[in-house]
Amino acid sequence: MQLLHATDYSVAQPTGHHDDAPAKNGGRSWWSRWAARLVRRPSAPTDEPAAALDRPPVVPAQAAGVAAATDLPTLVEGMLEQGRYCLLLRPQITASLSTEQYGLARDALERAMANVPAGLVDLSRRDAESSAEGETLRHVEPLMLDRYQVTNRQFRQFVVAGGYDVLPLWDAEVWPVLAEFVDLTGTAGPRFWRSGRYPSGEDDHPVVGINWYEAVAYSRWVGKRLPTDSEWVKAAAWPVCLADNQVSQRRFPWGDVMDRGRCNVWGSGPGRTAAVTQFSTGVSVGGVYQLIGNVWEWTSGDFDGVDAEGEPLDLPTMLKTIHGGAFDTYFEHQACCDFQSGENPLSRKHNIGFRCALSRCDVGTAVVRTNPLTL
Amino acid sequence: MLKQVQQPLQSMLLIQQANQVACYICGAGNTYDVELCRDCFAPMALAHQAASQKVMPNLVAALGSSAAGKTVYLGMLMDMLSRQPDRLQAFARGAFSINLQQAAAGALARGEFPEKTPCEPDRWNWVHCQIRSHAQKTPLELILPDMPGEALLEELDHPHTYRVVYPLLAKSLGVLIFVDASRLQSGSLDEDYFTMKLLSYLTEIQAGGRHDWSRRPVAFVLTKADECEPCFDDPATFVQFRAPGFWRQCRERFRNYRFFAAGVAGGCAYRSTRYGRVRVPLRVEPRGIVEPFEWIVKQLKS
Repeated sequence: MQLLHATDYSVAQPTGHHDDAPAKNGGRSWWSRWAARLVRRPSAPTDEPAAALDRPPVVPAQAAGVAAATDLPTLVEGMLEQGRYCLLLRPQITASLSTEQYGLARDALERAMANVPAGLVDLSRRDAESSAEGETLRHVEPLMLDRYQVTNRQFRQFVVAGGYDVLPLWDAEVWPVLAEFVDLTGTAGPRFWRSGRYPSGEDDHPVVGINWYEAVAYSRWVGKRLPTDSEWVKAAAWPVCLADNQVSQRRFPWGDVMDRGRCNVWGSGPGRTAAVTQFSTGVSVGGVYQLIGNVWEWTSGDFDGVDAEGEPLDLPTMLKTIHGGAFDTYFEHQACCDFQSGENPLSRKHNIGFRCALSRCDVGTAVVRTNPLTL
Repeated sequence: MLKQVQQPLQSMLLIQQANQVACYICGAGNTYDVELCRDCFAPMALAHQAASQKVMPNLVAALGSSAAGKTVYLGMLMDMLSRQPDRLQAFARGAFSINLQQAAAGALARGEFPEKTPCEPDRWNWVHCQIRSHAQKTPLELILPDMPGEALLEELDHPHTYRVVYPLLAKSLGVLIFVDASRLQSGSLDEDYFTMKLLSYLTEIQAGGRHDWSRRPVAFVLTKADECEPCFDDPATFVQFRAPGFWRQCRERFRNYRFFAAGVAGGCAYRSTRYGRVRVPLRVEPRGIVEPFEWIVKQLKS
């Protein structure tokens, strides 16, 4: 039953977060707006009477993306199709899988994610003068990082499965505004989609128009998380630890000199997002694509409020860190491994996407079973 | 005691006075060796280039309130057009034409916005460039001045304070009008009033026939649109609801206009300096910069 526990979202009862003040939309509380959207979804049950919408939400199991199938093979197959192999590879789950099922999940992991070894990384900015030596060195535990940015096709799996309606996937502070995370037609989804669909021909383009919370929710849904700043820089700059804790790391994934032909930044690409598999010459040592360019990537860290010269900044609000530059990044020093910028976590911009990470300790090893459990 | 001095021949001075060069902007006569027009302070290099290259550059004015983002826009535009072989390319005519893009791009690369354009006309930036496009075989010669908003406002309130403004606008074949979208979004009406004044001033400029200002192309550029994303989705609707006065005046008095949204910084923060709190860009991501200019160029050629 551990497998069911890992994917069971049907207990969403947001106690203690009731909004007593009259809400904007006709005085309806946030959960009634949220529930109204749930009812509008074609795949969600629509037999709930409208009068019941003023109650706090109870998420139906189907809307939570839990497979309706009760047998393990179908459930595993469905999760693999959705790209949720990491949930299957949790140490607590692998014991429930057959060798074949484990192998399939493991293959999916190896194809989609790259290893980043443990070690030190230097988070100082090269043009900063204020960073004291040694203070900016961070130790990073071994992890796996998505080889590609999360694509429209992958994110659509999350939208179709009703990920926007599963409250436990979302941080509680955004529950009141969850109903506003909609596309151009008012359907739940990234900002620039229409009726829950991304623009034609952009299946393999990175998903954009998603805020930090949407990135976090997707990451949770697939059993991953956003990388920390240290992890992101470690994967991109691929530092080599020399004697006496001296770290030598790259300015760009391919070396120390900018080569615009290796990345999608201003002046080198189509002037908009490109497929995540393009620019293969810009791949990192570990085999991660487009860490520089195409779209900025949300990380889990808070922006430190320091500019490139180490001067403290007065930020308009709390910002989350973004890394790597985008297709419209103009200056090359803003599209390098050690540059970070900040963005409001609620912003849904045209040039910010994300990729996911996974700690190596969250990947279980194979357990040889002759008679795997069935649900 | 004898003292050696260099004294130009009086006959030489007379020759210089006799062969006066007309300022390209205001038409006032100037001696050959002056750098700026004695009347309007426009660079005489414009007149010299026009004479030596036998071309008559078109004037496009760039107008807007103080700190609306004219310098950043024009500097970024010229830098982008001179770097990328895209639909439009710009080639500077004369070294002085590169000053603006150098100042703007240099400041942005350092993580700050360029300094405000001084009010003194002799310190304004002028750009003379040749615009080439794939669609048109014949290049277009353009002059773009970067005038400070304070000077423009002074001229609107007290005509002939800045003597370059009136002849420049009378001669301009098109205009880029900059409106600070973030100020509109915050509810301030200053931008609305300023733009209404400006449109009123333009329509009063004496010009007839084809050169009537109501027929000339006017590109309204909503700057700092990166701070208000809805502006990018539909700039015209944004103006309609945020600046109704300017919107109505525009519809009544102009026939060939279009609204654009533009932004240079992907995000902004503030830095405390000894002069106070200054706005700084967190990163530079030009968006919607070329489109208004491309539209103006297309209108000028058609």
